[in-house]
Amino acid sequence: MAAIAPSFFSELRAICGDDGVITQSERLMVYECDAYTMEKHLPDAVALPRTTEEVVRAVKLCAQHHLPIIPRGTGTSLSGAVLAVDGGIIIGTTRLNRILNVDYRNRRALVEAGVPNLWITNAVKERGLMFAPDPSSQPSSTIAGNIAFNAGGPHTLKHGATTNHVLGFDLVLPDGEVVWLGSTPEGGDDVEGYDLRGAVIGSEGMFGVITRVVVRLMKTPRAFRTMLAVFNSADDASHTVSDIIAAGIIPVAMELMDQPITRAIEEAYHFGLPMDAGAVLIIELEGHEAGLDRQLERVIELCRKNRSRDLKPARTPEERAALWKCRKSAFGAIGRISPNFVTQDGVVPRTKLPEIMQFIYDAAKKLGLGVANVAHAGDGNIHPIIFYDERIEGDVEKAYACSTAIVRRCIELGGTATGEHGIGVEKVELMSLQYSADDLEAMQRLRRAFDPEGRCNPHKMFPGGKRCLNFNPQRQVAI
Amino acid sequence: MSIVSYAPDDLTVTVTADTTLAALQQHLSPRNQWLPVDPPNPARLTIGEIVNCDVSGPRRYGYGTVREHVLSLRAELADGRMIKSGASVVKNAAGYDLCRLFTGARGELATVREVCFKVQPRPEAEQFGKAEFPTVEAACGFVEKLDTSELTPTVLDLHNAGGAGPWTVVVGFAGTREEVDWQRKQTGSLAAVADANLDHDEQFWSATAARPVRKLSVLPSKLAATIAAMRGVTSLVARAGNGIIYYRGEDQGTAIVPSTKLMQRLKHEFDPAKKLQARHA
Repeated sequence: MAAIAPSFFSELRAICGDDGVITQSERLMVYECDAYTMEKHLPDAVALPRTTEEVVRAVKLCAQHHLPIIPRGTGTSLSGAVLAVDGGIIIGTTRLNRILNVDYRNRRALVEAGVPNLWITNAVKERGLMFAPDPSSQPSSTIAGNIAFNAGGPHTLKHGATTNHVLGFDLVLPDGEVVWLGSTPEGGDDVEGYDLRGAVIGSEGMFGVITRVVVRLMKTPRAFRTMLAVFNSADDASHTVSDIIAAGIIPVAMELMDQPITRAIEEAYHFGLPMDAGAVLIIELEGHEAGLDRQLERVIELCRKNRSRDLKPARTPEERAALWKCRKSAFGAIGRISPNFVTQDGVVPRTKLPEIMQFIYDAAKKLGLGVANVAHAGDGNIHPIIFYDERIEGDVEKAYACSTAIVRRCIELGGTATGEHGIGVEKVELMSLQYSADDLEAMQRLRRAFDPEGRCNPHKMFPGGKRCLNFNPQRQVAI
Repeated sequence: MSIVSYAPDDLTVTVTADTTLAALQQHLSPRNQWLPVDPPNPARLTIGEIVNCDVSGPRRYGYGTVREHVLSLRAELADGRMIKSGASVVKNAAGYDLCRLFTGARGELATVREVCFKVQPRPEAEQFGKAEFPTVEAACGFVEKLDTSELTPTVLDLHNAGGAGPWTVVVGFAGTREEVDWQRKQTGSLAAVADANLDHDEQFWSATAARPVRKLSVLPSKLAATIAAMRGVTSLVARAGNGIIYYRGEDQGTAIVPSTKLMQRLKHEFDPAKKLQARHA
């Protein structure tokens, strides 16, 4: 890419303030990747605007200089979707972090794009409300980041993902024009015309920069039954999940954790998880107190039918919180057992869960890699965590091969390459397995309507881009 | 007209666009499942029409519009090419969500040919109740009480009995027998509630009025004031919990069409020769 005119940086500083522009290479390293660490690229600069107006001015400046813009929240995404592949300017939303208004009567909140997911629920929980999507990254991942990937979480099974809970937002298009998509803060739920809101959700930040969002708040369920079911094998646990759904019961969450991950969590945090279990399921039912126990009995019956050797109900809110902490600490515990890991995010029809679990174990074994599994089992959404050590020659490639083989198998089984982490740079080559050239071309039409120049978050999602020709991690994390 | 595939244990079904909603529901019924979308005239409405217009019925309050239930679809582009969007699984973040874009686009961007839905187990129990009020303000006060209570109705409608009767709130609950009984009982402590059904909606839509049905969408908090300010309206049904008002009578004309330029660019990308005209259910 041609050198950037020095005047660009001084103009950017004039817009975002000296403390709102990063250009020093050691500080830019923070922005060289997201939570997918297999590939890294330094941006030319990072802009951290504080207002919608600053975003607009920064985006217009980049447009004048024909520079790529890369919207970024806190970088918790897991597919390399915020990499500055060909350089460019990262527009960070972390200083847009205010909850602007909570409308309790209409159960909505207006928040800035960089507000972390969990802040919203924390702000409204005393009034019995919550923001439903609950990715494990929720203490830090931002609402605009959740929109970019249509983030889900363990409770997606019943409550749906981000697209079901975000009513509208503004979007600064790559040329600097601001449009409001979907429901406005003062407007009703239904908006005439195409669902552009829905089209932007899950578009991985390729259509522009979001600065303000209207979210729907849900009534927090009053009663829960949360249970840890212990199994001798991942296979038994997987069959239990299918049986519960087939019985017409939709728990709010059914999370599977296999032996390696259960052990890692237990060794790190001492929650009291069984170290010798083949797999455990965290099953949660919620709703009104009336009728919950009868549903729980039926669930217990189905666990027993699948040879569950132990069933531990959470008897207090503290015990329930501890169970969820176990699940959400999973990724943090990996550091104890492997210097590096890569996680996958494929989805299969839930009846294929036993089959894909077996495939994962076989694929890792064949390559001599370790693997641990957490899964949003009720959704058929797997998160195999493949261990590697970048210091060992060939390990990165092996991990990549293993992870790719798993996703290929998910697609063959009628599923998808990603349930919530996105395509990013990581899975671009898999897009053509899942979609035809015509399917991808139709997606490009949508992109052109928003970003005719293809300047917003380029080299993502679509195969055949520049990045694919020279996949070669430039520099790995410090050892 | 056909069911392409049905995987009851995965809670997914794929149907061609010319299948009627009633035929789909009938196919799901032996496994005690349904697509929880209840627009008027299910025996006549096709899946294509339902998706084109993103329809819903009284149960919208509990289950959303059809958009919330589409997992994937096949559509014919204006140039004749068939494309697929989404996957037959409940979660999918691969690629842009063309399903959302095409749902509700009235066939102007592509012609929907086949749709895969996420279906649900039919609730074990479902009950409806109604309460009548002398004024729209009083009726909306009851709506607000329900909407902000711990109860979780699946129906929260308001109607004026074809323009003739009192303001009536219809509330519905679904779920296990115990929770439905409990919620119904709680509702009775907020107002005098009589047993009811969803006939009010059918009567509104089947009325042979000369004037077409129009729609307004407002914040639920503004429902009472909006209805009170309406002039020349004969009959109305509101999805009170959602702030959606369907009415017959003079156009109250407040539909906002935002981002028009962007929509025109989209139309141009998908149908440059303007072959695809808007279709209505």
